[in-house]
Amino acid sequence: MLSEIFDKSILIFGCGNILLGDDGFGPAVVKRLNDNHALPEHALALDMGTGVREVLFDLILSESKPEKIIIVDAVDHPGRQPGEVFEIAVEDIPAKKIADFSLHQFPTVNMLKELKDHTGIDITILAAQVQEIPEELREGLTPPLAAAVEEACRRILRNI
Amino acid sequence: MGKVINIQPVTRIEGHAKVAIHLDDAGNVADTKFHVQTLRGFEKFCEGRPAEEMPRIVCHICGICPWAHHLASSKAGDAVFGVTPPPAAVKLRRLMQNIAYVSDKILHFYFLAAPDFVIGPDADYSVRNVVGIVGAAPDIAKQVVHYRHLGAQMLEHFAGRAIHPTFSLPGGVSKPMNEAERQEMLPQAKELLEFAKFTIKFAKENVFPKYLDAIQKLGVIKVGYLGTVNDEGALDFYDGKLRLMQPDGAFEEFTYEQYTDFIGEHVEPWSYQKFPYAKKWGGFALDLENPKGVYRTNTLARINVADKMKTPLAQAELEEFRAAFGRPAHQTLLYHYARLIELVQCAEEAVQLLEDPEITSPEVRTKIEPREARGVGCVEAPRGTLIHDYETDKDGLIKSVNLIVGTTHNNAAINLSVNQAAKETIKGGNYDQGILNKVEMAVRAYDP
Repeated sequence: MLSEIFDKSILIFGCGNILLGDDGFGPAVVKRLNDNHALPEHALALDMGTGVREVLFDLILSESKPEKIIIVDAVDHPGRQPGEVFEIAVEDIPAKKIADFSLHQFPTVNMLKELKDHTGIDITILAAQVQEIPEELREGLTPPLAAAVEEACRRILRNI
Repeated sequence: MGKVINIQPVTRIEGHAKVAIHLDDAGNVADTKFHVQTLRGFEKFCEGRPAEEMPRIVCHICGICPWAHHLASSKAGDAVFGVTPPPAAVKLRRLMQNIAYVSDKILHFYFLAAPDFVIGPDADYSVRNVVGIVGAAPDIAKQVVHYRHLGAQMLEHFAGRAIHPTFSLPGGVSKPMNEAERQEMLPQAKELLEFAKFTIKFAKENVFPKYLDAIQKLGVIKVGYLGTVNDEGALDFYDGKLRLMQPDGAFEEFTYEQYTDFIGEHVEPWSYQKFPYAKKWGGFALDLENPKGVYRTNTLARINVADKMKTPLAQAELEEFRAAFGRPAHQTLLYHYARLIELVQCAEEAVQLLEDPEITSPEVRTKIEPREARGVGCVEAPRGTLIHDYETDKDGLIKSVNLIVGTTHNNAAINLSVNQAAKETIKGGNYDQGILNKVEMAVRAYDP
């Protein structure tokens, strides 16, 4: 439950849109963690869909903060194989002047960087390389991403 | 050839809006374009799905306004099945909507709007951000988090899920409220109201007065307005008639089903996003000097079209606003002020709903039977009038869907405001980060 975010020391946020093919990887990992694995009492896994920014705002401002945040997301990085699961360091993502036009548009990367730089929270981005993000809405992961869901769960469980 | 200044995100993970400012050879603004990415293929995605599943699916359209889509879709479902939800179901839908909107409006004001005003538009980006707010006003930051958290708790404890809600469905809602839940939530809603009152007072005393000059100049455009009013002409977020106001204040009203008679959808070759326009105002033109067919939605639009607010404290705020800025008020930065008047109404209405004993009636669902029909459901989303238009076949499966979301209504107006703000601030090729941020402020007011 979203209302527990200030009570847990480890937060796992599945990010992405389940209606947009492989972009639904993060929510799929969270669903599997909650349905098929026993998370420790101090950890909370939430499907944030495309709304993680709101919670990041709250965490930046809050006095009670988790020790660790794991962001699970689908990415398209050059040189990676579809279904490959890997970590991205927050500092490897350029955070220059970014168009913070609105809540719809506010870039999450900026906020992750602010969180890491100013709060000392250990932030991990666990990414899976997409095979395809469809141009138009379509539900369901491609086979390589579906196969990567369990691997991502295991990596998370080893880290918490 | 002149230069093009692009204000855009550097990553594609999130944040797809972009402003392009084209300068002529003398360095003055020749043209501007505001682009925003949209989700494509939603209509096709929905074809053949049971209409009663739509309120659950549409929450995934937008991670920021799931409750608005959830409720507009439920209302479109009520209409296609030809049912009227019981009074308590409508009250519970309204309650959830108001609580969700309180959290949204607090977030927008303190985190997106306030950095511009509290820290100032010319400050370096590294401080003109959320962390900057914590440094500048730590006590307020704490309160903001507390009350947003309280809102999320209220939604989750009662409705089950705050982010991807499953609470509402065609014909009503999935559970009634019991007396113990009402007793628990009423003081919480009162707390939200106290913070809403504090926020608008704080803004009027400490924020807006410093920027009266910017309010009068930046992004000001004289166009029309669209919003929802109830039978008494008061602003209503959940239900009523659509009122379309011309720039001079004259207006027409129409039912949801009639929106296609009043609103056209223009297409520009450089944007995937459509440009809705007022069909009866003589065509469409994105011309700053003489715009045609352009109207706005979202907070300022609602405040302009409504004769009054629905609740007494919000009404007192509206009267003060109108005494200062008139009706309709065209200054784009007043979207922020209007948002806070709405914040007061949302919190006040949440309290009123929880004080109403009828809200605990166990009758919260009307039975539905599939049929071939068209149904249009509409609510005022935080960012503007949200229209869900469905057609079903005899088995109640979706045949066609048309959506117009709040930000899409504002597409033409945002383009005009950006153009106006760029022309106002960039002269002779001279610009810096502070000036570009002022152009962005014109966009941020709409919260696209």
